[in-house]
Amino acid sequence: MNKISAFFKSYADSFTTNMREHFENIPQVFKLSVADLKKTYTGAALGWAWAVIKPIVNIFVYWFAIAIGLRQGGDVNGYPYILWLICGIIPWFYMSEAITGGTDCIRKYSYLVTKMKYPVTTIPTFTNLSKLFVHLLITIAVVLIFWIAGYPPTIYLLQLPLYTILMFLFFNAWALFAGLVSAMSKDFSNLVKSFNVAVFWLSGILWNIENVKDSPVVYSLMMLNPVTFICYGYRNCFVNGTWFFEQPMRLCYFLGWYLFMGLLSLWAHKKLRKEIPDVLM
Amino acid sequence: MSDVVIKFQDVSKVYKLYSSTRKRLLGVFIKKIKYKKKNAVDNMSFEIQRGDSVALFGKNGAGKSTVLKMITGVAFPTSGEITVNGRVSALLELTSGFDQEMTGRENIYLKGHILGLKDNEIKSLENTIVEFSELNDYIDQPVRTYSSGMKARLGFAINVNIKPEILIVDEALSVGDAAFRTKCQKKINELIHSENITLLFVTHQMAVAEEFCKRGIVMKDGKIEFDGPVHEASEFYKKMYAIKK
Repeated sequence: MNKISAFFKSYADSFTTNMREHFENIPQVFKLSVADLKKTYTGAALGWAWAVIKPIVNIFVYWFAIAIGLRQGGDVNGYPYILWLICGIIPWFYMSEAITGGTDCIRKYSYLVTKMKYPVTTIPTFTNLSKLFVHLLITIAVVLIFWIAGYPPTIYLLQLPLYTILMFLFFNAWALFAGLVSAMSKDFSNLVKSFNVAVFWLSGILWNIENVKDSPVVYSLMMLNPVTFICYGYRNCFVNGTWFFEQPMRLCYFLGWYLFMGLLSLWAHKKLRKEIPDVLM
Repeated sequence: MSDVVIKFQDVSKVYKLYSSTRKRLLGVFIKKIKYKKKNAVDNMSFEIQRGDSVALFGKNGAGKSTVLKMITGVAFPTSGEITVNGRVSALLELTSGFDQEMTGRENIYLKGHILGLKDNEIKSLENTIVEFSELNDYIDQPVRTYSSGMKARLGFAINVNIKPEILIVDEALSVGDAAFRTKCQKKINELIHSENITLLFVTHQMAVAEEFCKRGIVMKDGKIEFDGPVHEASEFYKKMYAIKK
């Protein structure tokens, strides 16, 4: 009985530490995220332009391969394929960066761990936050692109912040877990990087998962994927015209994943927090 | 009035040494993975009062740095309890505790915030720090462009000027040129004598230690071998070392 309560207490302690470190350091987190952002884009001659060039090149290449090369990519819901692609791939750019960047965040900021007493749980938060700033700018650009193309914002766009927040929270938990584990060994970071591509192709970002509806097993497996949930959430806002509460099961799956990832990050934190300063030295 | 600012109670620190990083990663998930244990600090207990100045002696690997890291709050003990009351300013490896891409000035703010100072407090200290570091125009350049001497100067300037209550100096005075070294020693002396701070000092230069400190602790293999007045401690250390020789 004691063992069980100690087990729950260790998770609760980890959770309260996490919350306390965040609330006590809100201004610091913002400052470091801005610094992180500057760091990413200054030092190159084109600087900020890369925040835009990279996604545009990516989108063009994917569109070219799918629509021109494979002769796929018909209209979806009356929207041209390119627009359908853009609104689903935008969150993926964030997620992809958060998956790999989150894995490296504690290594990247090792001086905060080994050289001073810094609230370690906020490192994933500020690195992700800096990526979120870029994501928000690009999202606004996408809304404008839709508008210019003749598709003004609909009422469904109102639910976009919900998906953005869910995405941010989920990958924060991921980054805390992955950052801590990869601080123990670089192997984990390499593992994640090699699986990042797999996640991309398995998440129905380039192809419409509605196309596999005829095989229910594959379809429901796809629906279990949290990355798919976010991408199709964005598409709900831009092209599908669907409310999040019209797909309650998808939301539940996602929240289940979030709970799981949250527990995983707390587990990593309580197990590794005291060990990583010795390893990163 | 003497109050205890640092208290170690049966503190031990065990480093886990795995044969490879792969093993270490597996060790996170599987308890059975074997590793060697290195007892860096072995059941240490001591107290340091406010205003004390303590020198830590010991050969490389005796556990001095581990003790300092645990006081700073960077490393954690494997068992035992550590109590630290007061703002700790640590001069540990002066050249590396910076964000390389930020400018010197931004780093001043970063360190200040982490140590719990408010914006206006840091602002009032900013000029003193810049002046003390003698970096002049370089203060607005990214730290990665600094030479190691410049980093050390900035690190020292920040740490001694942010009104520390406990100052930890780990071999820091061996960097920089003679003039700056003298300036640092003067500043430390000033801090000990006027502001009633607690000093923890690690060095291999006995003379410097004897100048600054009243008390000396000699460590060997993570244990305290001697704890007493600094002169006796340095004698003890010299003798211990001589016998080994």
